[in-house]
Amino acid sequence: METIEVTAKHVIEAETSARTFALFEQDPLLAHYRTARGAVAQDEDALRHLTADNPDQQRRLDALAPQVRAALEFAERMVAKRQQTHAAPGADEILETERLMDTVRATTQEMHAEETRLLSQRTQRTTAGRRLTSFIIVVGIFVGAGLLALARLAVNREIDVSARARAQIGILNSELEQRVEQRTAALQSEIAERKQAEDAAKESLATSETALKELADQKFALDQHALVAVTDVQGTITYANDKFCAVSQYSEDELIGQNHRILNSGHHPKEFFQQMYHTIANGKVWHGEIKNRAKDGSIYWVDTTIVPFVGADGKPRQYVAIRADITERKRADEALHESQERFRLLLDGVKDYAIYMLDPGGHVVSWNEGAARLKGYRSEEILGKHFSCFYVPEDREAGKPACELQESLAKGRFEAQAQRVRKDGSAFWANVVITPLYDDSGALRGFSKVARDITQQKADEREIRKLNDELEHRVVERTAQLETANKELEAFSYSVSHDLRAPLRHISGFSQMLVEEFGSTLDPGAQHYLDRIQAGTQKMGLLVDELLNLARVGRHVLNRQATKLNAIVAEVVAILQPDTAGRQVEWVIADLPAVECDPVLVKQVFQNLLANALKFTRPRADGNAQAGASAPPSHAIIEISHKEEEDGQPVFMVRDNGVGFSMKYVDKLFGVFQRLHSAEEFEGTGIGLVTVQRIVHKHGGRVWAEGELDKGAAFYFTLGVGKQAETKSNEATAGGRL
Amino acid sequence: MNSGELDILLVEDNQDDMDLALHAMKREKLANHIFVARDGEEALDFLFCRGAFAHRSFEHPPKLVLLDLKLPKVDGMEVLKQVKSDPRTKIIPVVIMTSSKEERDLVASYHLGANSYIQKPVDFEQFRETVKTVGLYWLVINQPPVVEAPNLAGLAHDHH
Repeated sequence: METIEVTAKHVIEAETSARTFALFEQDPLLAHYRTARGAVAQDEDALRHLTADNPDQQRRLDALAPQVRAALEFAERMVAKRQQTHAAPGADEILETERLMDTVRATTQEMHAEETRLLSQRTQRTTAGRRLTSFIIVVGIFVGAGLLALARLAVNREIDVSARARAQIGILNSELEQRVEQRTAALQSEIAERKQAEDAAKESLATSETALKELADQKFALDQHALVAVTDVQGTITYANDKFCAVSQYSEDELIGQNHRILNSGHHPKEFFQQMYHTIANGKVWHGEIKNRAKDGSIYWVDTTIVPFVGADGKPRQYVAIRADITERKRADEALHESQERFRLLLDGVKDYAIYMLDPGGHVVSWNEGAARLKGYRSEEILGKHFSCFYVPEDREAGKPACELQESLAKGRFEAQAQRVRKDGSAFWANVVITPLYDDSGALRGFSKVARDITQQKADEREIRKLNDELEHRVVERTAQLETANKELEAFSYSVSHDLRAPLRHISGFSQMLVEEFGSTLDPGAQHYLDRIQAGTQKMGLLVDELLNLARVGRHVLNRQATKLNAIVAEVVAILQPDTAGRQVEWVIADLPAVECDPVLVKQVFQNLLANALKFTRPRADGNAQAGASAPPSHAIIEISHKEEEDGQPVFMVRDNGVGFSMKYVDKLFGVFQRLHSAEEFEGTGIGLVTVQRIVHKHGGRVWAEGELDKGAAFYFTLGVGKQAETKSNEATAGGRL
Repeated sequence: MNSGELDILLVEDNQDDMDLALHAMKREKLANHIFVARDGEEALDFLFCRGAFAHRSFEHPPKLVLLDLKLPKVDGMEVLKQVKSDPRTKIIPVVIMTSSKEERDLVASYHLGANSYIQKPVDFEQFRETVKTVGLYWLVINQPPVVEAPNLAGLAHDHH
């Protein structure tokens, strides 16, 4: 085809340059014309070769050759005429060249069109065939060109040139044959290749069947493990496997055609899905964890990979999503996270305790709010640091940090109160507990440390110690003072007993001697005064004795021993016997238990109480002076008994039917020198009941009284928590057993 | 009772007490051979036959010493202690007659070897009765040991 175009071009160039030369007679143009003419001759040969297989093209070449010849002859003539005449060609000559050129153009265009048609036909065929065809065309054109060259040789009428041309054709022919052979060989090899390719294709088809089987197996395996779904680009579900249905609780029918949004749990923010769609819409694989909602509203988590399948236009056609149900793991994660969060909140909520953890090497790995407050380090400052920075320099240099870890390992726990330093270097007292932490396999994971600021406590302790010391000092001082006072008191009572009683004795003695020695000479008035002096000294002697007695009770060291109270009562009654002279007194004495008490003091109690009873029943001594139902009893009745248990203690009672007392004065009964009766009515010092009370209190017991005017009085007392001796009934029981 | 013999040594600093005691003894016919020492030192000199009493002999000790505790110079307790710790005098009966009924005095007296302890009653009648009883007991009822030889106190035995 190109040759056709070149030939036409050469003819036109030759014609045009001949015409232009004829017009302007310029030598360069003539040279140009000659070159183009030569080229046209060669082109003809080439065309003949190239179109050899196409009769139509050969026919056109046959037509083209005379046209070319005519055009070239006219040009030759025009050139010769100009060279001879130097006259410019006339208008008719110009028109003639135009006509000749148009003929050549038309024929070459026809040939060109034919070749184009052929070319497009051949394009449909296999590449090998196409190459062959182009070759044939080329050859045809060469053949055509060759014929054109022959035609030109004939026209030139140059015999030698013709012979040379014939030889040239021979060469060309043999070259052509050689090329045909080459091409044939090439074609055969290509056919062989194609056959091979076909065989390979068949083989691969067989392989594909195996592959398909494998693929099906793999799909089965995938279906067992994963939730598989396919959606179109809008997210509409076009396929869902059984597992997908099972987990989502929707049937396949319910899912197909639905947008995947029906599973949206609302957990993820909009941006999450926007990012996902952005990724897959761009043809990229997306991977992530999604929280979905099943049909019944329950939640499930899926680990999701979405693969977009891209069409010929480069845009995704559909999305394949493969998911793994990770609900259980997520739940565990959430539970763990929640538990960790709770733990963190708990730890951070503890403001007064530093709670942190160390790795086995003693580096801080966790830090709570309390620790930050106590030690002054923020979490990010201290994590990874060695915990020895909390120790005071001396302790650090002494190797205490490592020792304390070792001790906690050896004993399972280490506790100490020691000085520690804050970040700012200030020291404080801390109570520190170190506990080693082991994992399930028993390997050391690290240590937990709990520290509390006890600076205030220490200060308080110091303050308490100081106060204690002061108090002790004061107690010592007071004790010394009391001892001194006590000694003074003892000295006082000693001197009272010696020095006060002596003058009394003298008053009594000398007044008595006066009566005895000079009684006969004294008048009755003087005698009466001497009697009053005697009474006074006796009363004062009694008072002094009782006061000394009271003081003695106070100093007396309690000596508890098992005491038979009935024996004591009997003793006291015997002592008091003289006082009952001339009186009718009825003693009603119950069986009293044996108790642990100080017999000397308890005897004093009974003595005072029974003496009182005797004294205040004196008006009942006059026997049957009065009679009648409402009359007071004719004789004194004094009752000694006990009631069972008051707070586990027996309550002893001494009751009489004497003059009694009004309960409104009951509070005055046990006051020192307090008397409810006049000395004329009933003698007394007002010290007896005070002594009773002091003895009872010394035993840890209680004393109280009940009374009614003119009916009698009752005194009750207990003797404290001394170990109770065995009662008679217990002895009897024990004896019975023996 | 011959003149060389002494029945009672009364150790009493108080004139009133002394008078009352002597009055009571006189009435009870006990005062024939009484010597009164007015302080502890005099009592010791008398008992140990020294100083103003150097002419006295251990062969004739008093049959009874009535000893008050509260005495000038050397108190009664010291007198008792020396008398009872010396072999020559320890067999002499010593009765403490005092105003005090203090427990500690009582205990101390008996520990030092007092033969009796009596609190002087305030009432004179009672006092007289007490003096009578004591005198009767120690001078009449009680049987003292026979002092065999003077200055052989080291060999003297307590016959109780």
